[in-house]
Amino acid sequence: MDSLFLIREFLCDRLGVAAEKIVPETMLDAVGVDSLLILELMFDFEERFGIVLSKGLPPPRTVGEMAKLMDGLRNAQSN
Amino acid sequence: MNAHRVAVTGMGLVSPFGGDADDFFHHLLAGDSAIGFLRTDDVPRPMAIPFAGLPTFDPQTHFDKMLLSTVDRFAQIGLAAALAAWRDAGWSIAASDESREHWGVIWGTALGGVLTLDKSYRDLWQNGRQRLSPLSVVLGMNNAANAHISIQLGLGGPSICHSVACASSALAIGEAFRRVRSGESTLMIAGGSEAPQAYSVLRAWEALRVLAHADEETAAGACRPFGADRDGLVLGEGGAALVLENWQHARSRGARIHAEMIGYGSSCDHDHLVRPNRDGQVRALRLALADAGLSPDEVDYVNAHGTATAEGDPIECQALQAVFGERAARLPVSATKAAHGHLLGAAGALEALITVLALRERAIPPTAHLRSIDPECAGVDHVTRARSGQRLRAALSNSFAFGGSNAVLVFHAGGQ
Repeated sequence: MDSLFLIREFLCDRLGVAAEKIVPETMLDAVGVDSLLILELMFDFEERFGIVLSKGLPPPRTVGEMAKLMDGLRNAQSN
Repeated sequence: MNAHRVAVTGMGLVSPFGGDADDFFHHLLAGDSAIGFLRTDDVPRPMAIPFAGLPTFDPQTHFDKMLLSTVDRFAQIGLAAALAAWRDAGWSIAASDESREHWGVIWGTALGGVLTLDKSYRDLWQNGRQRLSPLSVVLGMNNAANAHISIQLGLGGPSICHSVACASSALAIGEAFRRVRSGESTLMIAGGSEAPQAYSVLRAWEALRVLAHADEETAAGACRPFGADRDGLVLGEGGAALVLENWQHARSRGARIHAEMIGYGSSCDHDHLVRPNRDGQVRALRLALADAGLSPDEVDYVNAHGTATAEGDPIECQALQAVFGERAARLPVSATKAAHGHLLGAAGALEALITVLALRERAIPPTAHLRSIDPECAGVDHVTRARSGQRLRAALSNSFAFGGSNAVLVFHAGGQ
């Protein structure tokens, strides 16, 4: 399961965002994902993959940035 | 202080019968009961109690998933009730030409997001989780309902939450009334909501030995205020809201005015945490009448607090007799909790809505299931069957809380 899949699942199933809107270029705030919901998404991510995201992470602005950030952390913490 | 008249221009609720406010009132007049039976799956001792739930309330038909992800059930119910009241008042959800920067919301809840807190405790202590969702904080906070109402309706005035046990939303309406009457606000939305069916809450109420006993077959008639056979209250979930508006403002926009709010009195027993006190209730009643400029003879209906507890019901009847004197024996009184249960912090709002409907419809709903009046509750005119075609001028709604806080709201049929 890659990060983009997880983000898409979160946005579609939990928040009701249409699947076709979720592409790497999608701005998170444009589909209603504010700072509070980004925290929830990151929490969901941590729960699924058993990793801890640094509190100092810059907040991602797009779906693609978020996926890249998460993929990077997963790879770093699994090595 | 220049006193402004206060119009009730909107009413909304989440009805346990599933329909709107008019449909709800018709059920009350018919003596129907919305009380069902709640079975929990808690281990090792599941609960099985009479309970007034909202079996037809589906939050997903009211709100999208994005919003629902940040709203606990008590706030979902509150927001749905508030939006219904708002639409009833003739406003759209989004502002058009009107400025809402000084309009506000005052809400009441006793328990707030207790279902979220209950789930959190289970996750931590029962399910072995070591941390909680970051949304837990905003889901569980007591002011969640009024926060969401302010956000959804774009209200820039005060957004205040009162948590005063069973008087919470009556006080919310009373305090909102004062703001409109003083001219501080042109419009306020006020009400309350509650979803108390958390295992810890139910067990706590059970321990107080004030809950009615019934099985699945007899649950509908389990709450019998003022009855010789009463044996306790029935908890319920729900929410209701009123839109209170400056009278001239309402008239100038051609709003439908359901009734006029004319008075509010509050007091504290300063005596005991849970035992009601006649004198404290008398103070609230007299303050409310004085605030409304009414004599006891001008009141034509009282929606009683009437929870069906052994101690509470006689005290309320004694307080009414003390205030209304000889008039008390001819004063129509009913306790509608027999039909919709005790909504705790939301009770005052729902019963205020019923009181307004009684005035508007010129009809008094009965105390359902009241077959044999307890002699200790005598001295007032108990309404045991609906009375239609009544000449109703003014009516009171009583709310008395654990902690000794009392609130009495006064409404008038309202001339134009």
